[in-house]
Amino acid sequence: MDPSLTFAGAPPAPETLDLARLQFALTAGGHFLFVALTLGLATLVACLQTRATLSGTVLHARMVRFWGQLYVINYAVGIVTGIVMEFQFGLSWSGLTHYAGDVFGASMALETVVAFFVESTFLGLWIFGWHRFNRWVHLTLIWVVTLTAYASAYWILVANGFLNNPVGHRESGGRLVFGDAAAVFTNPSTLLAFGHIVAGALLTAGFFMAGVSAYHLFKRSPEWEFFGRSLRVGVFVSLPALFVAAAFGGVQFAVMQPMKEAVFSAKAAEVARLQAEMAARFGPGDYVPSEALTRGAGILMLLAFALMMYLCIGGFVLACFKRTVFRFRLWHVVLMAAVPLPYVAMISGWVFREAGRQPWVVYGLLRTEDAVSSVSPGAMRTSLIVFTSLFALLAAVNVWLLVRHARVGPVDRGLGHDERAAERDPADSLAAASY
Amino acid sequence: MDASTLETLAVGLLALFTAGWFVLGGADIGTGMIAPYLGRGDAERRLVLTSFAPFFLGNEVWLVAAAGLLIGCFPDLEGELLSGQFAVVVPLLAGWVVRDAGLWLRGRTGGSRWRAGCDAAVVCGSWTVALAWGWLLAALFTGSVGAPAGGPVAVLTALAVAALFAAHGLGFAALRLTGDPYARARVLVGRGGRPWQTFALTGFLMAALPVAAGLGLPLRESAADGTTLAFLVPALLVVTPLLLAVQAWMWRTFRHRVTRPSYI
Repeated sequence: MDPSLTFAGAPPAPETLDLARLQFALTAGGHFLFVALTLGLATLVACLQTRATLSGTVLHARMVRFWGQLYVINYAVGIVTGIVMEFQFGLSWSGLTHYAGDVFGASMALETVVAFFVESTFLGLWIFGWHRFNRWVHLTLIWVVTLTAYASAYWILVANGFLNNPVGHRESGGRLVFGDAAAVFTNPSTLLAFGHIVAGALLTAGFFMAGVSAYHLFKRSPEWEFFGRSLRVGVFVSLPALFVAAAFGGVQFAVMQPMKEAVFSAKAAEVARLQAEMAARFGPGDYVPSEALTRGAGILMLLAFALMMYLCIGGFVLACFKRTVFRFRLWHVVLMAAVPLPYVAMISGWVFREAGRQPWVVYGLLRTEDAVSSVSPGAMRTSLIVFTSLFALLAAVNVWLLVRHARVGPVDRGLGHDERAAERDPADSLAAASY
Repeated sequence: MDASTLETLAVGLLALFTAGWFVLGGADIGTGMIAPYLGRGDAERRLVLTSFAPFFLGNEVWLVAAAGLLIGCFPDLEGELLSGQFAVVVPLLAGWVVRDAGLWLRGRTGGSRWRAGCDAAVVCGSWTVALAWGWLLAALFTGSVGAPAGGPVAVLTALAVAALFAAHGLGFAALRLTGDPYARARVLVGRGGRPWQTFALTGFLMAALPVAAGLGLPLRESAADGTTLAFLVPALLVVTPLLLAVQAWMWRTFRHRVTRPSYI
């Protein structure tokens, strides 16, 4: 180990820490919201395409193109925000990569090479390869995209699970190294969060599909068969997804950091006891996470869950009858209004998980304030402004595009449009090919 | 495998993925830079972007993978390098995001102004990425990991690297396009030689850039602990041939010159 490479910069200004935390919270939060729909919708599109490939009907193929187009629009924000996340650890949190990079970095490397590399390449093949491949090959492409998206989520949660519940490591020369790799990859904090988030992503996609379909049925669209079927898919996926998410969420309370649990439950005596215990163990300091964020976000998540449970159970019954699917307009309005609910639950659950482990970045091992890079507050502020305004603009444009495409309904352009017919469109016509 | 072999293999993988991005991703960045010259008007510019559209997703992951290898196999250097080069990496990423947004959004809605705005995002983003890489390489060539390069050396290196990206993109365009945009690319490439010769030359230089920069980096000294490399490197070595095969399939699928627009 070259001593000149050790993390020995001047301690960064406290302002840099706050700015770096704000930047990470906003960019990761934005990324997470778009990824939630991407992950769930990819699964539903893959299932729709499986059915379309088996049946060979026009209606099923059109459903793949319509929902696939919304998936691809949404994917764009997830991918560009994800690129920035990848680099942000080294940019803003070089203390983390220095101290825990030997363990934490391995899962990031596996995520990029084993999962994301394949996902992105196959997504390109799926989008641009429409009408070029045999339909079974094209179906395989979307399934590879979906499964590698799950793999990607898993590897990211290996990293995140390690930060929340460091296991399978040992300390060597003031840094963390692998002790037991299998323990790192089967960390309960990883596996439970993975089940919770995958189910939450399906729930998000289910509510999205049901809400968009309800809009068209409310408007008495001539595409009643198309959206009637889609609405049922959305509603029937949502109910089991909600219960799976709740089950994985409930089990997580049992393995949560004691301090997070105490703050969430507002047990003042327990909080004081844990604070005294941690002060004795780690030295003086404030070991109590923000109550507003931890308890507030936890309660908001549970409220959203309760509301969604009533909607899902009621919806499951209503979706069984043709009359209500096509005619019950009040229910259509409720479904449209409910689209944001899974997002509220996802983001507040994430705030609960991440804010509740403060002041630690690696729980019990490395404090957040010791992980931030030695960057000037001015530089960090500039980067915060650049990335958050860029992402806010992108998010706004994408929400607008999603709403626009969702409202227009299935059309014969965009994703899956047969390019060979493009010559008829005067806007696409070019001088005769020559080279 | 002993620690030294593992470190050598990790360095080799990092070189492969970084050089891979410079050759493949560099081509679409370069074509994006010269898109206003190659494509006059909406339809022609769409054709120019279509020349690399099916590849850009598969191309940019080479750089994402290189960043992943850096954090996984050389975590200390990753932190030192990225936080030290903060002022260079932030515009590089911002340019990358703007360019991708332009590509993703271009065909998704209405008017010619929207498409012109997206084209501008692609062009400006591509230039930002190329210039930022030049600035970063200037620091790495002079052995300065912890601070961005300054002075005329930084400016000249940034311009020279950006020019190489543009030349590489031009060669790529000459191999991919048809019609008037092809004719414009051919004029600059030169009628004498074959386009693939120019492309091979610029490709070689592009691959050499990160390798030359890597020679000056303390890679072995900052390699991750032996226990990490012992499972990470073999896992990556097993997967890499599969990744190369998938990429080869992608390039083979879309190998024909573009005559009509696609999804973008």
